[in-house]
Amino acid sequence: MTAFLDYFQFVLAPQMITGLSLGVAVVLVALGLTIIFGLLDVINMAHGEFYAVGAYLALSLGFAGVSFWLLLIIVPAVMLPLGYIVERGLIQRVFNKPDRHVTTLLLTFGLGLVVEDVLKVIFGGNTQRPPTPISGAIDIMGVLLPNYRLFLILFGLAVIAAVALVVNRTRLGAVVRAAAFDRNMAASLGVPVSQVYAGTFAFGVALAGLAGVLLAPVFSVFPTMGRDFIFLAFTVVIVGGMGSIMGTVVAGLLLTQVQALSSLIVSPVWSDPILFSIMVLMLVVRPQGLFGRLGHA
Amino acid sequence: MRNITASPASSAPAAAPAAIPVRDQLGLQMRASHVLMAVFVVAAVAFAAIGAAIGDTFFLRLATEALIFAGFALSVDILLGFTGLLSLGHALYFGFGAYVSALVLKETPSFWLAIGAVLASSLVAGFITGLVANRVRGVYFALVTFGLAQVVAKAVYNTRELGASDGLIGVPIVPINLGVGTLMSNAPAAFFLFTLGFVVVLYLIAAYLLETPFGRILVALRANESRVPFLGYSTRSARLAAYVLASVIAALSGALYPMLRGFVSPELLFFSTSGNAVITVVVGGVGTLAGAFYGSIILTVLKSVIGTMTEHHLIVIGLLFIGTVIFLPKGLMGVVRPWVMRLLGRRAS
Repeated sequence: MTAFLDYFQFVLAPQMITGLSLGVAVVLVALGLTIIFGLLDVINMAHGEFYAVGAYLALSLGFAGVSFWLLLIIVPAVMLPLGYIVERGLIQRVFNKPDRHVTTLLLTFGLGLVVEDVLKVIFGGNTQRPPTPISGAIDIMGVLLPNYRLFLILFGLAVIAAVALVVNRTRLGAVVRAAAFDRNMAASLGVPVSQVYAGTFAFGVALAGLAGVLLAPVFSVFPTMGRDFIFLAFTVVIVGGMGSIMGTVVAGLLLTQVQALSSLIVSPVWSDPILFSIMVLMLVVRPQGLFGRLGHA
Repeated sequence: MRNITASPASSAPAAAPAAIPVRDQLGLQMRASHVLMAVFVVAAVAFAAIGAAIGDTFFLRLATEALIFAGFALSVDILLGFTGLLSLGHALYFGFGAYVSALVLKETPSFWLAIGAVLASSLVAGFITGLVANRVRGVYFALVTFGLAQVVAKAVYNTRELGASDGLIGVPIVPINLGVGTLMSNAPAAFFLFTLGFVVVLYLIAAYLLETPFGRILVALRANESRVPFLGYSTRSARLAAYVLASVIAALSGALYPMLRGFVSPELLFFSTSGNAVITVVVGGVGTLAGAFYGSIILTVLKSVIGTMTEHHLIVIGLLFIGTVIFLPKGLMGVVRPWVMRLLGRRAS
């Protein structure tokens, strides 16, 4: 019994907490992805690169002396117009073509390649790590929990709750959901659909940027960080149901626990194949995911 | 496709549209692709002759690799251009072919044995994974193929028997017995010409199959999937057949890779390889088959030219790709082919 308690205290619980903080982070990235898909029907392949841009912004502004707490506001505020420009300047150009799924996917894929390489040109290929904004750790019932991870989990959950609240409980959210459900009907009722599209895309991009700020001190910053992370986010979005906020949260927290525990039980190198197998299985058995999609109750 | 249908009528204003005999537009498109392929082959043979004359090795081998990746891109075009399905994990079959070929060659350096093994195993693998992937459509298809490839790539990456992250090295030089004579896989010009012949045969097989009623069902599927079953055709089997065809062609192209480079690595299975093939097809021209070949040459030239100046060639390729998607959605061949079609159409009438 004591052996199990020791195992729990020193191995299992820290692993699950690490998994939880990763889970909250993934959900933040995946939320933007899923909202963009739910509303615009666009698979944003460049989403991981927006996450990386957020992290690099945080890194360079942090070195310039801007405090971490300000970054939590500044970076999303910078990412918003960036996302808006990308939607208006690139995605809208091909949005009304017959095979929108494929074309927008290709477009954002190309954009991701360019952004990743631009980051390499500006910042070099090396891994950098900003200082942890909150040091120290607290002891919760014998389990040591770094303060920053605790902050990450709580702050992330608050952001997720706020997003869910805005989408499901406000007038703005109702407009977005109406546009996702039937864009023509929404347009004829006076909803400025194209503005809603651009705004939502920008919002998703800003969320990815915010995730970049939050995760930079934990996972370090490197040019391909987006690509590595986005595969996990995609898995979460698919398992949860493309376009579903609830599904993303549930799947994000579940899958990161699967990842954390499978790397204990099997081996860390096999956790990726396990996650992707779950994704393929989900797509085959229930392509709509655990929950439905945005605007489609 | 719609505006292409209208173009011969406008190019022959002398005759009233109704008087023009009903011509098979899809057949005309394919003949135009054949012309473009013939131009490609002539240029490639000339390139090989010059290369052999000046005793070059580097560029011939680079061009051989471009041809191998062109064969791979061809398979992606069968899916994307003819069934409208975007595969984000087609490197699965390319890498599969390369690994099977390398494994066989390391045991017995026999070309035809390796090709036979790749053909048989990729038929089975394509069929099984095709059953899985074809359960879904649209974006879900892209994601399922992506997921499948990721699972296999990571599994290979972790398997020590398959060389793990190092891949399989030490694939021997292979003698290729063609009946009339034998060439070695390390002879730059000879192996280039052989690879050219090999991928052209793959092209001809694909072009032939796509010209049969089976190919027309695929085109119909792309136009309106729910209507095809009412005409009495099975959408499932046509789609699956296209998927298996694409898998086999990708695997056969991959089979040549270890003969050229002497090794295979897990990168061949990665998303970047799949993505490259998609870029190749889109830049070259979706649905033209010949576009895969021109696209592969364009990308290889770009990579090696820009590569000599800077290591950041992805910016240029990415921008070229974005530009193509927005401004030239039919790619390079989408511009050139209607032109060839007009020439062909004029001669026929």
